[in-house]
Amino acid sequence: MNRRRGMWLVLAVVLLGLGAGLMVTGQGDEPRPERPQVEFPRRMRRDDWKRAEQRRTQVVQPVDAGTQAAEPQRPRDPVLAALPRGAGRSAVVIEANALRHSPIGELLLDCLMRDGGKRLDEFRRVSGVDPLQDLDRLVITDKGLVLSGNFSNAKFKELFQERTASDYGPGAKVYEPGSVVVTTENGSQRRGRDDGVVGTWNDQLLVVGDNPESVKEVLDQVHGGGSNEPPVISEGSTYGEMYGVLSVEEIAKLIPKEQADLAQRLREVASTVELHMDARSDVAMVAEIRGADERKVTDLGKSLGAALSVARLKAQAEGNKDLAQMLDFAKVLPGGSEFKMELAVPLDAIKERLAFCRDERQAGEARQEKP
Amino acid sequence: MRPVLGIAGYVLREAASRKFILAFLIGITLVLFVLSLSLKLEVLDGALAATRLFGEEMYLGIRAVDVALRPLFMASAYVVFYGGILFGIVACSDFAPSLLSPGRIEHLLALPLQRWHILAGTFLGVMTLALCGSLYGSVGLWLIFGVKTGYWPIGPLVAALLACGSFAAVYAVMLTTATLVRSAALCAATGFLTFVAGIIAGYRSSIAPVFEEGLSRKLFLAVTAVIPRLSALATASADLAASQPLGVKSLELLLAGVVVFGLGVLAVGLWRFEGKDY
Repeated sequence: MNRRRGMWLVLAVVLLGLGAGLMVTGQGDEPRPERPQVEFPRRMRRDDWKRAEQRRTQVVQPVDAGTQAAEPQRPRDPVLAALPRGAGRSAVVIEANALRHSPIGELLLDCLMRDGGKRLDEFRRVSGVDPLQDLDRLVITDKGLVLSGNFSNAKFKELFQERTASDYGPGAKVYEPGSVVVTTENGSQRRGRDDGVVGTWNDQLLVVGDNPESVKEVLDQVHGGGSNEPPVISEGSTYGEMYGVLSVEEIAKLIPKEQADLAQRLREVASTVELHMDARSDVAMVAEIRGADERKVTDLGKSLGAALSVARLKAQAEGNKDLAQMLDFAKVLPGGSEFKMELAVPLDAIKERLAFCRDERQAGEARQEKP
Repeated sequence: MRPVLGIAGYVLREAASRKFILAFLIGITLVLFVLSLSLKLEVLDGALAATRLFGEEMYLGIRAVDVALRPLFMASAYVVFYGGILFGIVACSDFAPSLLSPGRIEHLLALPLQRWHILAGTFLGVMTLALCGSLYGSVGLWLIFGVKTGYWPIGPLVAALLACGSFAAVYAVMLTTATLVRSAALCAATGFLTFVAGIIAGYRSSIAPVFEEGLSRKLFLAVTAVIPRLSALATASADLAASQPLGVKSLELLLAGVVVFGLGVLAVGLWRFEGKDY
């Protein structure tokens, strides 16, 4: 009896020891990895307001016939003034400086400097502009580009060569299309023609357009003239590292051909699409889609949500982990006559994809260092 | 084996006669019934497009149904796990003391049973009860969401089984306590202490740096190495319920360790029970 009893005790000790071993091995002593958390750009943050306030540098004096005492004008951001106005227009602002100093910016820089920075150095030398230091914002509109930053060191004469330059209001110049001398890769020079029109304003703005009228229209707006309609992007919407308003037609073009019905419905239902992208850590995007018919907008939101869900299931089935992970955060938030669509790409997934850029950059830099 | 099953059946009959266990089952049934009638889910191509509870729209956003239901499944897993263990501690605390009470134990020992049959049967009966209870709630919830969404993840069911595995370790401590002292209150107290210690043990690597490096930290790590990692299993069950990657190295080994701990403690109880005079 005592022997059997003793066996229970031995068994207990063995089992407790075995249990401890199994638990230590099973749980592992590594701390649990943090779950990916993505912060979506849904509204202006304190830093965004501060940034917007610092950019209100331009005071425009109202033009009147002298019958009324002119009220002091509130300073404004010249870049916002340069944005297109009116329904159906598009403009996307890329906060180049903020993006450059974000983790994704570092990765993109590796890709840009895969040749070891040779081309960038050449551009700096020829133009006098260092895009990594001097460029603040890049605005892509439906009629051209607007670049803002510090262009006081820009060698406009060397850049625009024989092109005709004319003054266009205070601090502004317009460079008409004309012939330029282009240096080819093997060092030889040939004459060519540049049809682009460039406008400059106070060494702060560069406006690039297809024709003089579109460039002059932008400069007029900066001077306080032009349309009375508000810019397509208001100051309260300048949050994120990339933001803007895209025409529905342009957004519809981005939808895959297999989803042609969805693209057509988007064209029919939506009136504006506002985008905001945050790249401070992971890349998170919010698209606000508005339309006139509340019911149709809600239905469109549901269809888009379903399309994202199907895409996620497909990615999971095909073993596309990155895409599935990205679509894990995908969400549509309905709200009456508008809805928000949220998408995110984890930074690690982007790092993995762009790892080759860093390798090529390092190889390029090593090549340059060799005598 | 038959005597063990006989004792287990006896424990189950005892449980069926308890009003509060019956009330608990009715409560779960009511919750499931109300949920099935009041919750309306609109699913479109695998996306949860709209949710209505008692006719009121809930603005959860339109997203993949499994992602949308993740927080709910995780919350349910935690409720089943922690709630189930706590209820089990309270509900089953006096089964063993009453079975070992004067009069009844003498009667049982007079039967052609070995002593270990009595403890093993009691343990088996209580575990059957725990398994039925947790599966009843989990399967009910799983059926409701499965029918309403067309999404049938197996995670919530596995999470319920993990909760049972964890309760096995806790109840083994309670049963062994009953062989030492025939007190339902003390059984419940040791069960509750194991429950709290199990939560701490699950976070031992995070808590260890709080102790000064040296003897105190080593002691903490040594003691918590033996204690069942209840919180680690609870988190794993929530991850499973939500179909998310597990944070533990090997769930199988962890669960096996917790169950083996339970069997080890039960062996201590058997050692004590075999040598006790009634």
